[in-house]
Amino acid sequence: MSGVLIALVTVGLAAALVSLVVPVSVGRVVSVVAGLACFGLALVLVPAAANRTVGTGFLRADALSGVFVLTVGFLYAATTVYTVGYLRAQAHEDGHRCRTRLLWCGLNLFCWAMLAAPLMSGLALLWIAIEVTTVVSALLVAIDDTDGAAEASWKYLLIASAGLGVALFATIIIYYAGARVLGEGLGLGIGQLIHAGLALPAGAVRLSFVLATLGFGTKMGLVPVHTWLPDAHAEAPAPASTLLSGGLLAVSFYAILRYYQITSAAVGASFGRTVLLAFGIASLLLAALVLLDQHDIKRLLAYSSVEHMGILAMAIGFGAPIAAAGAMLHVLAHAAAKSCAFFGAGTMSALYRTRDIGRIRATLDRLPLTAPMFLLAVLALSALPPFGIFRSEFMIVAGGLASPSKAPAAILVLLTTLAFLGLSFVTTRMSFESGTDAHASAAHGLGPGAMRARREPSVWLVAPMVAGLIALLVLGIHPPGPLQQLLHQAAAELGARP
Amino acid sequence: MSHTVPGFYDAATNAVAVLVLLIEFGMLRQALLRDQVRLYAAQSLVISVLALVVAASRAVPELYAVAGFSFVLKVVAVPWALRRLVRGTNGEIAGSGRFGLATQVLLALVAGGFGFFVSGAFGISSTVLPESAFGMSVAVFLVGFVMMVIRSDVISQSVGFFSLENGVSLAALVIAAGLPFILELVFLFDLLVAAVVFGVLIRVHHRSTASLSTRPLTRLRG
Amino acid sequence: MLAPGAVNALQVITVVAIAPGVSGWISQFEARLQGRCGPRILQPYYDLGKLFRKESLAPEGASWVFLAAPGVAFVAYALVPLLIPVLTSYGLPLGYQGDILGGGFLLSLGAFVVAVAAADTGAPYAQIGASRAITFAAIGEPVVLFITFAVAIVTGTDLPYAEAAATRASAAQLIRPGHILAGIALFMVLLAETDRIPVATHSSTIELGMLGEAREFEHSGPYLAVLKWGGQVKQVVFFVLLLNLFVVPWGLATDGNLVSVVIAIVTLVAKCAGLGVVIAVIDCGFGKLRLFKITEFVSAAFLLSVLAVFTLLIGAG
Repeated sequence: MSGVLIALVTVGLAAALVSLVVPVSVGRVVSVVAGLACFGLALVLVPAAANRTVGTGFLRADALSGVFVLTVGFLYAATTVYTVGYLRAQAHEDGHRCRTRLLWCGLNLFCWAMLAAPLMSGLALLWIAIEVTTVVSALLVAIDDTDGAAEASWKYLLIASAGLGVALFATIIIYYAGARVLGEGLGLGIGQLIHAGLALPAGAVRLSFVLATLGFGTKMGLVPVHTWLPDAHAEAPAPASTLLSGGLLAVSFYAILRYYQITSAAVGASFGRTVLLAFGIASLLLAALVLLDQHDIKRLLAYSSVEHMGILAMAIGFGAPIAAAGAMLHVLAHAAAKSCAFFGAGTMSALYRTRDIGRIRATLDRLPLTAPMFLLAVLALSALPPFGIFRSEFMIVAGGLASPSKAPAAILVLLTTLAFLGLSFVTTRMSFESGTDAHASAAHGLGPGAMRARREPSVWLVAPMVAGLIALLVLGIHPPGPLQQLLHQAAAELGARP
Repeated sequence: MSHTVPGFYDAATNAVAVLVLLIEFGMLRQALLRDQVRLYAAQSLVISVLALVVAASRAVPELYAVAGFSFVLKVVAVPWALRRLVRGTNGEIAGSGRFGLATQVLLALVAGGFGFFVSGAFGISSTVLPESAFGMSVAVFLVGFVMMVIRSDVISQSVGFFSLENGVSLAALVIAAGLPFILELVFLFDLLVAAVVFGVLIRVHHRSTASLSTRPLTRLRG
Repeated sequence: MLAPGAVNALQVITVVAIAPGVSGWISQFEARLQGRCGPRILQPYYDLGKLFRKESLAPEGASWVFLAAPGVAFVAYALVPLLIPVLTSYGLPLGYQGDILGGGFLLSLGAFVVAVAAADTGAPYAQIGASRAITFAAIGEPVVLFITFAVAIVTGTDLPYAEAAATRASAAQLIRPGHILAGIALFMVLLAETDRIPVATHSSTIELGMLGEAREFEHSGPYLAVLKWGGQVKQVVFFVLLLNLFVVPWGLATDGNLVSVVIAIVTLVAKCAGLGVVIAVIDCGFGKLRLFKITEFVSAAFLLSVLAVFTLLIGAG
């Protein structure tokens, strides 16, 4: 199993380096192969990680890591495939070649760092991996070289760096706490720290957890430190947006979960739960309200990410095992649904040359496959059965209702319903309402003939969406045995007690 | 209230920690970007020297190497790169603060004072430096934050971030002097990577807005 | 052996006597730094002598306040050396009649009567000078207050003698951050209060650059002499506060022995001359701040004094 771990943290890096030097056409193949390979490796890892903790050197994987590795692995594969089609669609643009090379390299590097983060055995290495994701993704956001991209990437880099500065402080303090018990020269091993448990000084651990939640929460998009998120998601190229939303936010959540585990072991679970519940409700509230009045399709999806991150934080805050298992499923399902939605949004906004929802009309007439799949993905995001998010949110709400205070669960149901209204209203109008021809053709500068062309731009753009929807259906209807075991084992590792 | 006079080592290291904080305030007040970068170099130098002092007096040999690396990186490399950026953009913004200077100082004082007193509540103790230096490091950290918030040009904001990282370095000296060397090294390397990315994005920003000011960045909202 | 009361009186006499000399030394040294020959060190004494022999005029309509102010201010400034350790390290009979705040009140009283006198003349320059001087003195007040707090935390009292003793007690005290910060803040207050660069120009004919100097425009003859002399006494008082409380509280007499008192006087002159050099260098090396930038200067001093108190409170001082 250690071979799988080592492969997971080397394939992406190797692909990044190779794609930087070889011709773009080769780099493309290398990246897609690397993506699919990592997804395969993640699938191999799942049954092993579900049963026991595997590790070698500074790599370590338990069920919790397994969930996130699987998430990122799926996104890696889906995104590389999509990117092939995405780049073909805009091959005619200026400066395309150099940008393409950088985009491939950056995507590989980004996925590599996100795969490495959940596999790190120590908190310091975890911080470093997440910091690497920040710097790489900030460059990916800037890659389109528009004014908006420059603005978004600067905001993102600055805010996320400040957040990671806070997280670094948390790392130093948890080191201090660990060194009190385990002696100097501590490697900050996660298992070691959880094991030390009650011996850790409570004040320092509490401080560390709050700082870690604030710091990594900045990258996860928890309100009120989410402000970079909609900008970066909207201005980044579609593949990068997908990875940001489905992968980066989840990986940051993973870091918070590790601190949560240690804090639970040291000072009891209720402290961490309260903090997460507060952040979760704030995120959900803000996102649900903003979703009601949003005119930019990618910002719409970005705020939906804030909503789902809020749900995740609340799920852990509930503390019930079923809610924790639901949260793990939610991470996977959200990644699948959000990648599908961002791919669809990317295809549509490239075709209509705008992200303004008011100008994207009658998509069903133009994109016979992408449009209905986008609609389905958005419905899945709104937790409609039979998709995975319905199942996970059902589990989370069930857990919430089982906990002593039922108010948070009620709030969650109310706010997700509100978010559903916002999302579905906007997207159904995009799909079914027909824009006037003159208006539409003026908007995207195409002749009336092109308007009526009813054709998908590329199969590469459609395939990952199909994969995402299949994954959503699998997760929703009947997750395979090893996966279920993984989810429940992860929930158990989170120490969720009713 | 009577007061015990601390020993010489404690007093001296405290004075150095206060110097770090004072330089932080100096950066906050400094209008010229060039001088701000210089102050950052000075602050890093003070921290490197403090690491040397700790290494020598408390027998933590790894800290010699940490001091050396942080000198090369934070006193020489990063300030050099930032100065080049400032020179290349010929845009010396004087005083990009959002408020008057006195208000900024007051805000930073409130933030720093908060850091001082709150950090005392967590019962942190240290074997190599006086505990009060931890409060100082939290104050440096928070003032760095204030600086990132109230200055509105890209150079000051990045200097704010780097000095915030200096605050963490100071905290690490106080409470985590035994942090494994390899981790310290990787943290520093990471800072270097961050510095490079900051540099790239500063260039991107300058190309797109033809200035160093962040005031034009108001398009994305909602 | 001198009686304690005599030493106490001698403190006042010393300060009053050397005050013009210190000003003269600074002018001389400054001139040398600028490559000029400069006035003699004793020039201020001759100036005072000359002024005392001249006739005095008062503006039309000026009341008795105008005439009384120089004397009152002089007495107020000259009383402060009774309260602070000028020559001795031990408390003299009148030394405990007032603490740092008491000394501060006396200094403020002096500034107040001079300002009132300036207002009494009705002359625009004098009034501008007075209002500016009072304004900046007022925003400098919190700084003095925080310095007093810092002293109070260190010594448990706010008596000048106690602070001097604490400073003398150990080398660690000298490098305590709280001590250093409070000392620097006091130095900045000193620069502002004695009308030095970067707050005001001390010796020029440009009225707009002046703060305190402009207040004296309407005075003449012996009144002007007393006023100027008072200003010089105030400067030495601030020097003594900084030197003997915060920087070098050594060389003071430990008993009433005549020899040690004489040594203390000589040391004091040397210390004042040393500080004078620093001030002259600052005078030459920096430009005057624009008027509205002075608040920034004072805010820096405020920052230092507050940090001094903070560091002392969290036990880092």
